[in-house]
Amino acid sequence: MRLVLYTGKGGVGKTTTAAATAILAAERGRRTLVVSADAAHSLGDVLEQRLGPEPVAVAPGLEAVEIDARVETARHWGHIRDFLVRLFRHQGVEAVVAEELALLPGAEELATLLAVEGFATSGRWDFVVVDCAPTDSTLRLLTLPDIARRSLRIVLPLLQALSGAVVPVAKHLVRAPLPDSRVFGDADALVNRQLRALQRRVTQRETSVRIVVTPERLVIDEARRAWTELSLFELGCDAVVLNRLLPESAGREPFFREWASRQEERRREVEELFAPLPVLAAPLQDDEATGLVRLVEHARRIFAGREPHALLCESERVRFARDAGGYVAHVPLPGADPRHLDVAKVDDELTITTGLRRRSLKLPRRIAGCDLVSARLEGASLRVGFRPAAPPRADCAGAA
Amino acid sequence: MRVLLYTGKGGVGKTSLAVASALHAAEHGHRVCVLSTDSAHSIGDALGRPVGPRPVAVASGVVAQEVAALAELDRAWSEIQAWLAALLRGDGDEVAAEELLVFPGLEELVALRAVRDVEATGDFDLCVVDCAPTGSTLRMLRLPDVLRFFMENFFDAKRRVARLVRPLASRVGAGRLVAPEEVFDAAERLYRDVESVSQILLDSERTSARLVVNPARVVVDETRRSYAYLCLYGVATDAVLVNRLLPPEACGGYFARWAEREECLLAEIAASFPVPLLRAPLLPAEPIGVEALRALGRALYGERDPAALFARGRPIRLEKNGVRTRLCIELPGAEAADVDVVGRGDELLVRIRDAQRRIALPASVAGRPIAAVRLVGGVLAVDFAP
Repeated sequence: MRLVLYTGKGGVGKTTTAAATAILAAERGRRTLVVSADAAHSLGDVLEQRLGPEPVAVAPGLEAVEIDARVETARHWGHIRDFLVRLFRHQGVEAVVAEELALLPGAEELATLLAVEGFATSGRWDFVVVDCAPTDSTLRLLTLPDIARRSLRIVLPLLQALSGAVVPVAKHLVRAPLPDSRVFGDADALVNRQLRALQRRVTQRETSVRIVVTPERLVIDEARRAWTELSLFELGCDAVVLNRLLPESAGREPFFREWASRQEERRREVEELFAPLPVLAAPLQDDEATGLVRLVEHARRIFAGREPHALLCESERVRFARDAGGYVAHVPLPGADPRHLDVAKVDDELTITTGLRRRSLKLPRRIAGCDLVSARLEGASLRVGFRPAAPPRADCAGAA
Repeated sequence: MRVLLYTGKGGVGKTSLAVASALHAAEHGHRVCVLSTDSAHSIGDALGRPVGPRPVAVASGVVAQEVAALAELDRAWSEIQAWLAALLRGDGDEVAAEELLVFPGLEELVALRAVRDVEATGDFDLCVVDCAPTGSTLRMLRLPDVLRFFMENFFDAKRRVARLVRPLASRVGAGRLVAPEEVFDAAERLYRDVESVSQILLDSERTSARLVVNPARVVVDETRRSYAYLCLYGVATDAVLVNRLLPPEACGGYFARWAEREECLLAEIAASFPVPLLRAPLLPAEPIGVEALRALGRALYGERDPAALFARGRPIRLEKNGVRTRLCIELPGAEAADVDVVGRGDELLVRIRDAQRRIALPASVAGRPIAAVRLVGGVLAVDFAP
């Protein structure tokens, strides 16, 4: 099952590109589903069809769905919701609780990922295309399994211990029912099964992110930062779609001359900045690309001779290797800015921070006992050196 | 002080038009502050000069500011974060905890506290806000409702439980799990802040949303829904700004079909939004810098004063007709199949597609049964039985 997620700055044409990709793949015989994961859905507008939270057929071999976080939360958070309903029954909040839960931090992302995972494992489709919300939300979405697992792994056992000790007593003191162990059991199941499955799903080789850009300064800068951060979390990118290029005939018109001259520069820049990712160039159409016919035409131009569902570029993964007298970790970080990079070893984990995002990587047992001795950017990856711990000393080091 | 919120789908030119409006308003003699609450700031990029979290004068009569929402949030949440950091002690992963803590929309809403601060200086009579794209803006508008729900339903109960179990918990070595009093105080403070900001947003005499659109099908469709959502949340829209219209000299050749389509879309935009339409042309190059933006402001507003109230409307109002009381909510473009209304004691739950609101009912109708719900001509009318 191939999964492709489209992201990029607002207004660059993510939805159009995602829909076009899906239609072309369906035309070429893949059983395809296109999913809108942006709360401000516009997939239905682009496909010119009314969509909802259940997949509906929009063309032969193609179905489409707009994820509703409330519906998904209600579907997946059974016990927690039941507990809350029991807690507040006297206030008659049954109908509301699931919807309010969907607004807890991280809940929308979790619900979205669970829905995508459900589609991916259903066996109904060979190819699932996801139209994500703008860049920052996409990053929050895709890094959620990693971040949530780490937080819950620490908090849950403590909470459970606490509820065992305190809840029986507290129950007599307050009238409201308190969480019983089933609630924690649910949360635990999320940690152990679902989050791990979700993380595997988003980081496996069959899953790729494609970044959509337009030939504009701000858009390109944001995309580049996104690529670094996606790589840090081992979310592989396999292509950049350069959208809305003025076709030659349009660029010759006097009014658009300046736009056209800028665009060539930007195009070269995108090719250099994102190498080795292939840059798929998509011209600005002579009319808005909505509806199946125009979308499939648009997709043919984007993919030219390529297959829309193919893996267009292999991406690097985190690798650990032996090195003379020690070990070395290679972490893919294309485009990382050394000024905003911080590397440290904390206990048995390697912590890397780029700008606003941080990832902690569990180190293999052999390396966990070593000291971090060097960290530097080599081309598109970060190389971290380790040496067996000699006498006890501080085990932190700054980035090169 | 007048407050203008510029919002719309991603990439339509919100920032350019917000700054252009600010510059043009200054030409009309207003003292203007333009600030951005979108975490992906671009006021500085539009002006072609750095703008940071501290207000800087960018032109005569105009001060600009990019609100550092995360830093604001850090300050507001510091007690809560300290507790969480202790909870995750030794994990070195405060960033993860912070990220999990930030309610969707909270960042923008906290950023909007800056509007209050701008007003408090007394130095300005217009505040132009460059908001995040529609999706985030809607989450932001929904947040006060959500927080109210959690505060009313969970907060007191949790606080009570926390007080009871704290001594016991510390005896079983789980003391750090129970939030200290300061954490609850901090949460309450934050909640009050959010409430006070939402009061500004809902004052239709003072605050207006301006929706920016492009003449493109998908943009118009999304904006039409956003307009209804804004109404539902009680934020009044006083103008729709149509950006990047093809100028006559660009309408031939390759763009002939776009030009044709524009005509139809403009007619449709005019019919969809019962507020004045203002237009700005596509320019021969990206409008960057004060001069280019000032020209854009002039093209957009002409002789008009950007600070004016272009349309008066109260999206939510109560009408009395004899013994019958009717709550009217403007929901332009909404279809009956999308709308869901539930009365629940002293509040009314209204949902349209992706948006849901809990509307607190005035005492005169609270608890009364709903006699009829109708959606006619884009107005949802809820009749309460006498």
